[in-house]
Amino acid sequence: MNGKNIVSDGMSAPRKKNRIPVLAMAGPVSVWMVLFVALPMLYVIYISFMSRGVFGDVVYEFSLESYQTILDPTYFKVVLKSLKAAGITTVACLLFGYPLAYIIARKPKETAAKLVTLIMIPFWTNSLMRLNSWLLLFQTSGPVNNFLTGHGLVREPITFVYTDGLVMLGLITNMLPFAVLPLYSTIEKLEKSLLEASADLGADAVTTFTRITLPITFPGIFSAIILVFIPSLGIYTVTDMLGGGKVLYIGNIIKNQFGSIRNWPLGAALSVLLILVTMLLIFIYTRFAKIDDMEVV
Amino acid sequence: MKKTWTAVLLTGALALTLAACGTGSSSDSGAGSAEASAGTTSTQAEASADAGSTELNIYMWQQYISDDLIANFEKENNCTINLSYMSDNADAINKLTAGGGDEYDLIMTCDAYMESLIAGGYVQEINLDNVPNSANLNDTYWVSKGYCVPYLMNYIYVVYDSETCPVEITCYNDLLDPSLAGKISTIDGARNLFPIALIALGYDPNSTEESEIAEAYEWLVQFNANVVAYGNAEQNLTNGTASVAITYDGNASWAMAEKDTIRIADFTDDAIQLGIDLYVIPTGAKHIDLAEKFLDYICTPEVMAANLDEFPYSCPNDAAVEVASDSYKSDPARDFSYKENVFFQEDVGEALTIYNDYYQKLKVGE
Amino acid sequence: MKESRIAKKKRRWNRLCNGYVFLIYAVLYLPVAVMMIFSFNDQRYNYYWNGFTTQWYAKLFSNSSLVGSLVYSLLIAVLSTLLSVFIGTIGALGLKRYEFKMKKYINNLLYIPIIVPEIVMAVALLIIFMKIGVALGLGTILIGHCTFCIPYAVVTIKGRISGDNETLEEASMDLGADRVQTFLRVTLPNIFPGVMSAAFLAFTLSFDDVVMSNMLAGAKQSTLPVLILSMSRTGVTPDVNALTTIMILVIVAAMILNNMILKAFHRGTKK
Repeated sequence: MNGKNIVSDGMSAPRKKNRIPVLAMAGPVSVWMVLFVALPMLYVIYISFMSRGVFGDVVYEFSLESYQTILDPTYFKVVLKSLKAAGITTVACLLFGYPLAYIIARKPKETAAKLVTLIMIPFWTNSLMRLNSWLLLFQTSGPVNNFLTGHGLVREPITFVYTDGLVMLGLITNMLPFAVLPLYSTIEKLEKSLLEASADLGADAVTTFTRITLPITFPGIFSAIILVFIPSLGIYTVTDMLGGGKVLYIGNIIKNQFGSIRNWPLGAALSVLLILVTMLLIFIYTRFAKIDDMEVV
Repeated sequence: MKKTWTAVLLTGALALTLAACGTGSSSDSGAGSAEASAGTTSTQAEASADAGSTELNIYMWQQYISDDLIANFEKENNCTINLSYMSDNADAINKLTAGGGDEYDLIMTCDAYMESLIAGGYVQEINLDNVPNSANLNDTYWVSKGYCVPYLMNYIYVVYDSETCPVEITCYNDLLDPSLAGKISTIDGARNLFPIALIALGYDPNSTEESEIAEAYEWLVQFNANVVAYGNAEQNLTNGTASVAITYDGNASWAMAEKDTIRIADFTDDAIQLGIDLYVIPTGAKHIDLAEKFLDYICTPEVMAANLDEFPYSCPNDAAVEVASDSYKSDPARDFSYKENVFFQEDVGEALTIYNDYYQKLKVGE
Repeated sequence: MKESRIAKKKRRWNRLCNGYVFLIYAVLYLPVAVMMIFSFNDQRYNYYWNGFTTQWYAKLFSNSSLVGSLVYSLLIAVLSTLLSVFIGTIGALGLKRYEFKMKKYINNLLYIPIIVPEIVMAVALLIIFMKIGVALGLGTILIGHCTFCIPYAVVTIKGRISGDNETLEEASMDLGADRVQTFLRVTLPNIFPGVMSAAFLAFTLSFDDVVMSNMLAGAKQSTLPVLILSMSRTGVTPDVNALTTIMILVIVAAMILNNMILKAFHRGTKK
């Protein structure tokens, strides 16, 4: 298959003579990424330069219309709004997730394994169902409002549903395991002896944490940020369900282009924009964190 | 030697996955190759007519057809019906236009898309001689006859909870009342919302004038300030989140059964929208014989009447309505004098992009 | 005296930690609990609590379309987990250890399925499948799922690989083990927690996926999430809650059973 040729052509393997291990290890993932990511994405970039048909189909005529549309400041605002929401989600997931991962990792192995599984179980139920549960809990006649009004805490039921706040709650609870899992797997391999040595040498808990624990677990934090921030930038089910179609992030807008609004070239152009923004952020982030390239993880 | 087994295993795994997608169907028609596959279709249809299909693949709305109806048809015709469901009108259009439509024998869509679908060659002509019961259908509700068979209809009603709604609603402009802020839950979609605004402004609900659509957009911006959520209208009205809902008649009927303070707004002048959900046979469908049998079956008055008990939507099948149960006939959702004052969603052609652009602007907001 | 104070402090700290863990789990399980409670709701759709009934469980056993789609979803999730964790594990190692020209591009490509809203990938894949004439079905859904599971797997596993594994591996090779043996005996155990996390993530992502499954599905069978999404126009019927409740209970029961067996096994080996 030609995918394989690309990989073998691309190999230089300066250090090792034997190419088979490289081919065996990195080959499949490379082939997969080229076939099912690079190729489709090239197509997406291609249609972003095409015109839109009346019926939402793509007319294969060169046009910059989609990119002109994006220049409209409203899209800029939406991107900023999405970045902010994704940022808050990431920070919240790290703040809640790191201590959780740390505590779990310090437990005996069997307990830790059980706790990790317990984190995942809620996520094996359907996310739409879980989101609907939040609606049922917080809706005007729901238990939370009944409790508040029943105890005289508020006079009128509060409209929690279809607000930015509930969307944030949905995002954070939805993304938390994506932070906890990579954090857990790096904290778990942290040698206990290292921490003890640090304590023996007179370092207090804070110093040990900032000097030893944090730097060593940094790869986990990096993974967690990537796994939480980037998907929350493009997510739209949470905003659709809990935001009632009124809270729109960039993901919703892109989705609408392929759905109800039917403007595929614009959807493609917005996706290209989203990729560029994210790549730029990762670039800045890796430079800032003094990491070579993006392949640190 | 052992070093290579990993590589071999991998290639095997990859090959297996690729092979898995090759199986299942011999069809090779592509996305836009409507004409190309039309040629093969007729031969396939003839071939399958000889043997008689034993499988029928339908794509439609969930919670929209009786399980008993499906089961009975399967028993009578000794076949299997595979139902898959869409979650958005766009899903059906995507299936038909982007590809994968030929995997189905019947796809549900609505009247507003018919002209474009026919022009694009995405749907095929239905031989109505094989659907004799379609004579029961009222021609008023049958657009693009010959290319589709209407199933059920939806009036888009304004429904309110008389207990919590602060204003009396007799026309669309009442929905702009500031006291309704955050109290309206409405269906979504450009072609559902814009006609409401256009009628409120006194224009043609299917206007193609950009200036009128722009005005409608301004109207909708005001309306948007009162909307608590797009979608989930029935849920939000019955649980008290919203006090006004814009929703389909079947959902209105259920909501009223749920809570007796819920009423349908009695409009003085404004026309309401009537949408028709219909079945089309996609180009390249493989079990046309059975698809036609199914269409004929659902047009049988008794069959449809039983279906209406479970799904109390309006029905274009006059004969079926006649034999329908009393509870269906006396349902307040279908007992309104202004029911005659309706408009249809028409195919607006090129203007659709104008609608979509303004709708996009409305949703993105400032 | 002093030691007991430290012990006390430690115990209090432990209790605080456990309390924290409990709190987070409570928030994560709250929607699940609500979902379970509403499986007993006497209402056509779950709009609000309307009274107790067990009719939905009865309906579940008589109507198999939900169960069928659950089985289909499980099958897809298991297959795409196996495939993507396999490719992801060796891929992570390969990308971490070896240098080749394409490496930089592959690393960047890995981010794309994570960044781009799934619908974009789904539409692009759909069009490409249509262009080359692939019939939609299990295979296409599997490809779609693996396409976003592999990057997650690679990122998670890479985080676990560190330099000191390499010395161990070299030692193993020096001692005469071949590459495969080294991989199975040294590398894999070392990165196993990462592999486990990746498997969890992949399974969860695939089992819950709705966008790819909706776009790339054939006419014959829908996955459970697609079925649930299609209910969103009217409302989700409580039999879905009933199904989910049973599923959760089965998982928990399996975990407890597994635990008991393991314990019995340990006791047996000790004797």
